[in-house]
Amino acid sequence: MTYHPAIDTILVLAMLLNLSMLASSRLATCIRLFAFQSFLLALLPVGGEIAVGELPSLHAYLIAAAAIGLKVILIPYVLMRILRSGEIHKDVEPFIGFTASVMIGALAIVASFAMASRLVLPMPPFSDLVLPAALSTIFIGLLTLVTRVTAITQVIGYLVLENGIFIFGLFLLNRTPLLVELGILLDVFVGVFIMAIVVYHIRREFDHIDTDLLDELKEV
Amino acid sequence: MNTVWVMVAFLEALAALALPPLLMSVIAKTKAWFGGRVGPPWLQPYYELAKLLRKNAVYSETTTWVFRAGPIISLAALLTAAALVPVLSNRSPLGFPGDVILVAYLFALGRMFTVLAAMDTGSSFEGMGASREVTFGAMSEPALFLAFVVLAVATGSLQLSQMLGPTLLDEWQIAGPAMVLVIGALLVVLLTEACRVPVDDPATHLELTMIHEVMVLDHSGPEFAYITYGAALKFMLLGSVLLHVAIPHPESFVFLDPVLRVVELVALAGVVGVIESAMARLRLNRVPLLLAGATVLSAIAVVIVFARRTL
Amino acid sequence: MLTPILLIAVPAVFGLICLSLPAPRWRLAVMVTGAWVNLGVIIWSWLAPHAPLKDEFIGVDPLGHLIVTVIGVLFAATSLHFVGYQRAALISQRVFLACMLALLTALNLVCVSQNLGLLWVALEASTLAGTPLIYFHGGARALEAAWKFLLMNSVGIALALLGVFCTALASVGAGEAVTLTINSLVLHGRQLDPAWLRTGFLLMLVGYGTKMGLAPLHSWLPDAHGEAPAPISALLSGAVLNAAFLAILRAYQVCQAANLGEFAGGWLIVLGLFSMAVASVFVVGQRHFKRLLAYSSVDHMGILAVAVGLGGVASYPAMLHVLHNVFYKGALFFVAGILGHSYGSYQIANIRGALRRYPLTGFLLLAALFAATGLPPFGLFYSEIGILFAAASSGHWWTLAAFALFLCIVFVGMVTAVLPMAFGGHSEPEAAAHTWDGGERWRYRAMAAPACLLIGLGFVLAVYQPSFVKEALDQAAAALGPHDTGAAIATAYAAGGGR
Repeated sequence: MTYHPAIDTILVLAMLLNLSMLASSRLATCIRLFAFQSFLLALLPVGGEIAVGELPSLHAYLIAAAAIGLKVILIPYVLMRILRSGEIHKDVEPFIGFTASVMIGALAIVASFAMASRLVLPMPPFSDLVLPAALSTIFIGLLTLVTRVTAITQVIGYLVLENGIFIFGLFLLNRTPLLVELGILLDVFVGVFIMAIVVYHIRREFDHIDTDLLDELKEV
Repeated sequence: MNTVWVMVAFLEALAALALPPLLMSVIAKTKAWFGGRVGPPWLQPYYELAKLLRKNAVYSETTTWVFRAGPIISLAALLTAAALVPVLSNRSPLGFPGDVILVAYLFALGRMFTVLAAMDTGSSFEGMGASREVTFGAMSEPALFLAFVVLAVATGSLQLSQMLGPTLLDEWQIAGPAMVLVIGALLVVLLTEACRVPVDDPATHLELTMIHEVMVLDHSGPEFAYITYGAALKFMLLGSVLLHVAIPHPESFVFLDPVLRVVELVALAGVVGVIESAMARLRLNRVPLLLAGATVLSAIAVVIVFARRTL
Repeated sequence: MLTPILLIAVPAVFGLICLSLPAPRWRLAVMVTGAWVNLGVIIWSWLAPHAPLKDEFIGVDPLGHLIVTVIGVLFAATSLHFVGYQRAALISQRVFLACMLALLTALNLVCVSQNLGLLWVALEASTLAGTPLIYFHGGARALEAAWKFLLMNSVGIALALLGVFCTALASVGAGEAVTLTINSLVLHGRQLDPAWLRTGFLLMLVGYGTKMGLAPLHSWLPDAHGEAPAPISALLSGAVLNAAFLAILRAYQVCQAANLGEFAGGWLIVLGLFSMAVASVFVVGQRHFKRLLAYSSVDHMGILAVAVGLGGVASYPAMLHVLHNVFYKGALFFVAGILGHSYGSYQIANIRGALRRYPLTGFLLLAALFAATGLPPFGLFYSEIGILFAAASSGHWWTLAAFALFLCIVFVGMVTAVLPMAFGGHSEPEAAAHTWDGGERWRYRAMAAPACLLIGLGFVLAVYQPSFVKEALDQAAAALGPHDTGAAIATAYAAGGGR
């Protein structure tokens, strides 16, 4: 098997960006890191086809363009606007400390490699790092969702999870119809847009975006 | 032939032992250049060492033999380690399979005696510095060890001179990203162990914020010279490990090799100087995050190197 | 091909009109018209027989057709109820009504999409359209419910997307000809890679199960149902949950074709029974009427999952359950809407003596209660008995025992909570209750009429099942598995005496 340094670098960088999102204490930094990660991943549909020695298809270019437009530009823009819209807490406030979450994130990466070595793909991927990168990004997205209290960090966790699924979807670039993939991207964008609106309302209602405060509704 | 090699090795060792203060000087010069100053003369560290060696040591009444043994043992440990680490060529004066563990523990031994000497003074400042030194040292050790694991897997050897040998050239082809991660981890380890910014600030004037410098406040005369030289030597040793990973030289370089390495070491010192000028020291409570990050980098590198061999 | 396009286009067009109209009165009229035209399209579509589908993105198959019909009926009824219910709300009526029609569009698309990917896109779209609806009343609690609904469903459904991708991976080995359409996957079922398909099914079960309200990922459901306006709660529990159920059925169909029916069924039974257990725990002693109904929804979804999981003979009662559950759950939420307006509270302790003060509402409450808890002569009785028989005939004795136990607990919990609401004492101050006189009269009627309609329809279908209904249910049940459906019908009919 031949290895493509550029693809490898992108995938490893994507994994490291996950960890730096866990480590960074500023919401704005988190959003920028997410945008950078999305940008790197958006290069993969085209890069992957080049790596296996094909001419990149229109399909791949369109996916890349849509991913860049939505996840690199629009979603970060919307999130940054929410961040700037008021004096909300700009710091990430995790349940578990930064060092601990980075360590757990690293464990997730190691576990992803272990899992990936046991999963048998029906066709060889363009890099053996794709599966571990996808799995670890999914795990770390879930970790962010569970361990962070502010609404925006939860949105970021959801987006990271979505990025992981995007990497996973690279295996199937030519099997899923273009319409469906664009629909997925659009759904994600609209979802984040609505989440942003809800976050805005939460801020107005509670003067705070801790979802910790959202505990009115429960069984007594 | 054999005699020639011995001569070459002897010269190499001499050069390697003479180099560390110069590297400190390069860092100081770089920082001065960034600050728009001329900076101390190039040979200033040598002058200082010479001055200190001529002086008498002053001992506090509360100290014991541990305080006097500390600098000597730690310097001895580092000098022994220097014999095992290839510095200016792909060979090292001594070496045996498994010596990588010895090197790591020689570093630890040196640190332990510096710390013990600091505690022996009974001063709260020294105690604080010692506690920080041990904390951060303990956290940077896993990063170093995992980096060694990567090299061991990559080269299939446990002897430092082979782990840092030209076989690494192939590894760059197979698992380039892993090697980059190892370099990142080693750089953090280097900055931590050599007590540079962003972990420690050797130039600070406030004892409360120091780590290494505060530990050695009570040392004077020749013993302080040992400590200063030991710190520089440690910087050079870890720096050359880093350089051997980053820029493996093929065997064919032969005599060009040492010259290139000296240039690279000087360049590395320059880079550290740039980092010191460009960054501020981290808040103490963020340092563990940096070290954890380095450990994580090495861990991921280990995983990638393994994955490339099994998948 | 015309039907699916119409089913998507009609609500979408009406939604756009709704967005563009200036006058509130007209917008409401457009929403109601849209819902009823949609129902008209569905009724019209039943006139033509099902054409076998090939490799299309969208198309009508028996299973989707049944669910789309059920959703259409509920939506039409809800639109009427909403005319009486609507009043000053926090978010603009324009957005709200457009979102209702967008929800209908998304749900219709779920039902007619034949491609697993498109199905996912449509289901996620329904989550997005539903979020503003929950926030209708505004305030901290509604906000919290909306946030939980949006986030939990988005994350859950993201996992389902991973499941879709895994299923696609499973199909890679079967050759280039296999696409992600249900038909193609079912046709090449035996060639699919079982390991990836298993992973895919589990992820889809968890992901779509979140949306369907299967425990343990049901926690958004009582909050959303409790805080949303009553007509929206009716839509959530009757339409959205069923659409998610359909998504799980699609995954189950593929597993069935790949000879993994046992595996998929086993997990469905486990999650189904767990949901019933959770529901039975929280129904007993529940103080909030709409949350009570929400847990009843969790219970019914559990029943459906168990029924599908049992497979074979239980498929027919499962479809029967889908059909009848919608009528009564819708009616119950409509009644809840009336009671909520009448007493100004959804706390069970505050609602007393409904039968005496509002005879019609009280009567509807009792009828819907008995229907929803599965008393004869209502349809759920037959379906639940059918499921019990199916469990017995296939030897799932533990399932049978747990199923019956949870049914009984939920029955007792529901009845002890609701009977005092209907009969009830005199503890509450009389003046607090709303009187519905004069100009309010029409509101009351508009809100009660759809409940009457649904209960009446359900009752009629329970005592007299026309042959076309039976055929539709049969075909839908047959789509669920390669089993002998003749026996299934015989059992269900022996149990229920359908005709």
